[in-house]
Amino acid sequence: MKIWQKPTLEVLKVH
Amino acid sequence: MKWLMAKGMVMTIDCVYSQVEGNIISDMDGEKVMFSIVNGKYYNLGEVGGAIWDLLQEPNSINGMVSQLQEEYDVDEKTCEMQVMEFIAMLHKEGLIKQN
Repeated sequence: MKIWQKPTLEVLKVH
Repeated sequence: MKWLMAKGMVMTIDCVYSQVEGNIISDMDGEKVMFSIVNGKYYNLGEVGGAIWDLLQEPNSINGMVSQLQEEYDVDEKTCEMQVMEFIAMLHKEGLIKQN
């Protein structure tokens, strides 16, 4: 079984 | 469990969602990075978020996704359900998925 991590949606910084 | 979303929408475990077309996906060291050609934003979905994204290739219910994730990950049902709903709400708010 894989370790569960809370799913997150991260907006990446764009230049 | 019910989850109140933007614009007064309510999410339950029976709600069905699927990906919106127009996203470019890349796997980077097990994490999914995505570019939306619709809104021009880049996103990092992470490893678990990427797994959820894959489950949304075809219309899938919250309940269905939780069951599939529990087969792969060591997580109890309530935790999985709550965190998946929160993540789905974020995807929906960004316009990356649609409710079927």
